[in-house]
Amino acid sequence: MSTVLQLKNITKTYGDMRALNGIDLALPGDAYISLLGPSGSGKTTLLRVIAGFEHPDGGAILFDGKRIDTVPPHKRGIGFVFQNFALFPHLSVAQNIAFGLENRDVDPVADRRLVDTRVRDIISLVGLSGLEGRAVTQISGGQRQRVALARTLVTEPRMVLLDEPLGALDANLRARMRAELRAIRERCGVTFLHVTGSEAEALAMGDTVLVLESGRIAQSADSDTVYNRPASPAVARFLNCYNLFPGRIEGGVFVGGSGQFALGSATPSRAASPAYAIRYDRVSVRPREAAIAEDEIRIEANFVASEYSGAAVNSFFALDDGRVFEVESHLSHAAPETYAEQGRYALVWKREDALVYA
Amino acid sequence: MNASGMKLSLGAYTALFLVFLYGPLVVLAILSFQTGPEGGPQFPIIEWSTYWYKHLFGLTPPSRIAPLPIEQALVRSLGLAVMTMIVSTVLGVTAAQAFRRKFRGSGVVFYLIVLGMMVPGVLVGLGMALVAKTLGIDRHWWSTAFVLHVVYTFPFAFLVMLAIFNRFDPSMEEASWSLGVTPARTFRKVTFPLIFPGVLSAMLFAFTLSYDEFSRTLFASGRDLTLPLAIYGTFSVEVHPNVFAFGVLTTLFSFALLGTYAALMMLSVRRAKRIAIQEEA
Repeated sequence: MSTVLQLKNITKTYGDMRALNGIDLALPGDAYISLLGPSGSGKTTLLRVIAGFEHPDGGAILFDGKRIDTVPPHKRGIGFVFQNFALFPHLSVAQNIAFGLENRDVDPVADRRLVDTRVRDIISLVGLSGLEGRAVTQISGGQRQRVALARTLVTEPRMVLLDEPLGALDANLRARMRAELRAIRERCGVTFLHVTGSEAEALAMGDTVLVLESGRIAQSADSDTVYNRPASPAVARFLNCYNLFPGRIEGGVFVGGSGQFALGSATPSRAASPAYAIRYDRVSVRPREAAIAEDEIRIEANFVASEYSGAAVNSFFALDDGRVFEVESHLSHAAPETYAEQGRYALVWKREDALVYA
Repeated sequence: MNASGMKLSLGAYTALFLVFLYGPLVVLAILSFQTGPEGGPQFPIIEWSTYWYKHLFGLTPPSRIAPLPIEQALVRSLGLAVMTMIVSTVLGVTAAQAFRRKFRGSGVVFYLIVLGMMVPGVLVGLGMALVAKTLGIDRHWWSTAFVLHVVYTFPFAFLVMLAIFNRFDPSMEEASWSLGVTPARTFRKVTFPLIFPGVLSAMLFAFTLSYDEFSRTLFASGRDLTLPLAIYGTFSVEVHPNVFAFGVLTTLFSFALLGTYAALMMLSVRRAKRIAIQEEA
């Protein structure tokens, strides 16, 4: 796969705030890439810099091997789908989609019939047939999302940037549009860079997942790697499925405020500060008196509350130092257990399941 | 006080306010139907007639009362108002567009523009007359007075457009750019159609302010008078109800203007509604 977009040491500062703090990345052609970051991590800024709406303070942007830092947005050939869709309210669905073809600076399509054909093709691709003449306010949120996508795709950009494209849709529609976005992208063969604040969405959609953390790329890998081996404690925290402990390593033992954990055989990953992470669903809850195996680690905590989400139950425990510990139990494995309020339980996991950062 | 009492007193207050607002106009309208040519500009009405309206258009037999010398002045005032409207609106839209981005010295420039509507008209008019005299420029309604009218009405158009742009969603323009459309064409095809209701308001402001501008024009317009000056000139001799009849006609003209404005607004209201709905979603 060839590289379509490359960023080298991109920085961007607003006043005292470093929004982008030296971004380096290379995106392949014909791929779905999701960019995951908490709010304020600079993900929208990064997208706007790539599109040309904002100018970086330093660094280089290469698109198709050519530098585009100083090229104005309308000459970059990069599509952009906005979170609020930004449809033209004075134009109909078909007119919105035809807008780019008819009005662009390079190679505008003047032939009415050719425009109509291309618009009709893209409308059937995104599934909007029958709505051509509607005003863009007379259609639903999901349909508007499709118009925004069709309007961009019809101009055949090499790459499309999507800024939280599913954020404005309700949960049901969001799940459906995920699959559709992937299917549409595959049919068009362009690169999608999809920005999202939802870890589930990023993992579900991206062939590659980029994790942005305080203006830097913290990890760039496939979904499986990001989920199972987060590159740093920050990424693990943001994935929202790891219990994290700060502390230090002393001779094969991790010493934290909540207890001392013997380490497994894996070498710790490099990180700015030592941390110990155990995934919610790797932990089992047992009665206090139950024995543990030799390769297991055990701490005690008081049960606080649990949350039922259909396929799983998440239980919350308070550790002795006040820290909250979360355990996820999948109901397909066992019937849900009920724990006594404020009851004291043993939380047990395998030594090898933990991730250690040093 | 209970709620209905509050409502009643507020209603009475509003009614009183309307009487103060429109009382003078109503008196003027009634007196314009005074009989002529012997009837004067005061009550009681001797006999109802449309004499003074006919007098305005020269449809009455000659009498000692000369027809209002307004024909030329009306043409001049309309011409001046249209010129001012066009130039001020173009300046207002472009200046407000410039102010969408912060630039060095934008604060100073803002106050310099707004100063045009703050400074006393008589002083500016006098100043312009002195400058023209010093530089040896002839004063005309279409030159010196026109410049002052633009300086006066441009800030109004500018402020209206500033408010319009404040509520404008810039991501629509960015969407257009990302489709490969130049900023200039984007302005014409996306921005302008969406700010058009605001442009209409700016035009209306500039036109009406220029049309009855008096103090600035007084010193700056030279020999040929504009309408407000011509009417004021007739007062200094003797006031006849023909001025009132003319006032009624001008008011009707203003209403016609407002009606046109309302009709044009109605056309773009549907569009505005669409924007509102999109923003909610």
